[in-house]
Amino acid sequence: MEPIDVPRPKSVRDPNRPVSSLLLAQVKHLREAEKSLPPQYHSGIFSHAIQTESEAARYIQSVTEAIHAAHNDAAAERIRKVPKGKRGIEIAVADEAVERRAKKKSRSKKKDSPSKRKK
Amino acid sequence: MPPGLDQLKHIVVLMMENRSFDHMLGSLKAVNPAIDGYIDSDPFTNPDTNKNPVKPQALAEFQGQLNPDPDHHFPAVDVQIYGGQTGSGRVANMQGFVTSYFHQRGDVDHSQKIMYYFKQSDLPVLTTLALQFAVFNRWFASIPGPTICNRAFAHYGTSFGRVDMDPFDVIEPIKSIYTRLVTATAKHSAKVYYYDTSSSTMEVANLLQHQTELFGMYSQFLSDCDKGLLPDYSFVEPNYSDHDTDDGEEVASDQHPDHDVQAGEQLVAEVYTHIKNGPGWASTALLVVYDEHGGIFDHVVPPSCKPDKFPCSQVDPGTGQPFKFDRLGVRVPAILISPWIPQGTVVNRVFDHASIPATISKFFLGGSPDVSPRESNADVFIEPNNGQGNLANNLLSLDVMRNDCPSFRIRK
Repeated sequence: MEPIDVPRPKSVRDPNRPVSSLLLAQVKHLREAEKSLPPQYHSGIFSHAIQTESEAARYIQSVTEAIHAAHNDAAAERIRKVPKGKRGIEIAVADEAVERRAKKKSRSKKKDSPSKRKK
Repeated sequence: MPPGLDQLKHIVVLMMENRSFDHMLGSLKAVNPAIDGYIDSDPFTNPDTNKNPVKPQALAEFQGQLNPDPDHHFPAVDVQIYGGQTGSGRVANMQGFVTSYFHQRGDVDHSQKIMYYFKQSDLPVLTTLALQFAVFNRWFASIPGPTICNRAFAHYGTSFGRVDMDPFDVIEPIKSIYTRLVTATAKHSAKVYYYDTSSSTMEVANLLQHQTELFGMYSQFLSDCDKGLLPDYSFVEPNYSDHDTDDGEEVASDQHPDHDVQAGEQLVAEVYTHIKNGPGWASTALLVVYDEHGGIFDHVVPPSCKPDKFPCSQVDPGTGQPFKFDRLGVRVPAILISPWIPQGTVVNRVFDHASIPATISKFFLGGSPDVSPRESNADVFIEPNNGQGNLANNLLSLDVMRNDCPSFRIRK
């Protein structure tokens, strides 16, 4: 079968197109998400003033990247707090040890639970 | 076990925006009468505000025609489905599309354009894929309403009682299909690929905000296709806006009115081509589906369905009566693509977006506990290959993989 041609769109590209209700809804969701970010991740963009697609895109990009950055920074901080000698492969070992201790604690709690105490 | 199911390792869902079945694929009835579209001799019409019958016509344009964006929020869709009838005992008749669109601009001639559909030659990608693989005659939006709550059904199997576009809370113990996959005892992989950070995802409130590790970008999706690195389950989102990037200008590809439909055709072609040309073609199935009808006409009355367990967040969602999530939204295009599907397959069973997590969950996990009633009752579009599927419904049914699948030349 011969390849089927997919024409190049003759789009009227218009970043100043009025923002759709869909994009406004997405902006609203991101605004709510931005509120829960620490101040250093805030966009500084007044999202209520957004009127065009390009303005929406700029805000969406800023908050989306901020959400990713906040999570990445938190993950990096988590690793940083692990003592140097235990980084890298040793982190996995440390994680396993923590898990084993938690399980052991849970089992001993069950043993001591009122329903299982010897009368 | 059929070899197509036996070899299946990856399922990809690409969800586009706001176009109805008849608008995009209706023309195919003239090519294959088994496809429940529209031909000129069909009696279906809609009255305009002068009570004149308006026939569907193959006059849809790629851009600039459906302006303003047709109303697709819950109250407007109610008018479209019930022809403006209210009160108990009313019967759905799909007679309200023209009058609904008239309400937005007050222009009788313009309102009739809501009944326009595309010629087959206008949409070479979508129509070729529909004719060459499996097209669904009865895939409906999950609720008769807008994008965010319909997409929620694709992610969670429910919209948690929402029929609007506001942020919603996930109500435990229901989890997204992605969380279920990546936290399963036998861990699976899942990713939501959004186009870029300027377009981002429509699932912000819960997934992006709390699980950024689930996300990747479209460029990574294409690379993952090329290198055979696709996760078990991929959900791909189109570009939702015209915007500038460091690499140049981007054109919206979601096909949401008034974005260029041809840009969306290129996106679908690109997704298909990268899967087909990658090492995973024999082991991948692609579902191209639309989230809702966008206010555009369709002639098929949506069926009733098992009610969801969440009460509607609005006592009156703008229609004067409560909604119990017991009926589906308007029909949308849906096509399943795999080299194991016979050419010209037409599926008449009923599906909605809850079928997506239902399918993924049953295929990869053997099912999930704590799912919504809508998901537990949803049909699956790919049968599980663990002996629990109904092989009579298997669409990947060929014994030998096809070598005649179409290819596209994407003009840049």
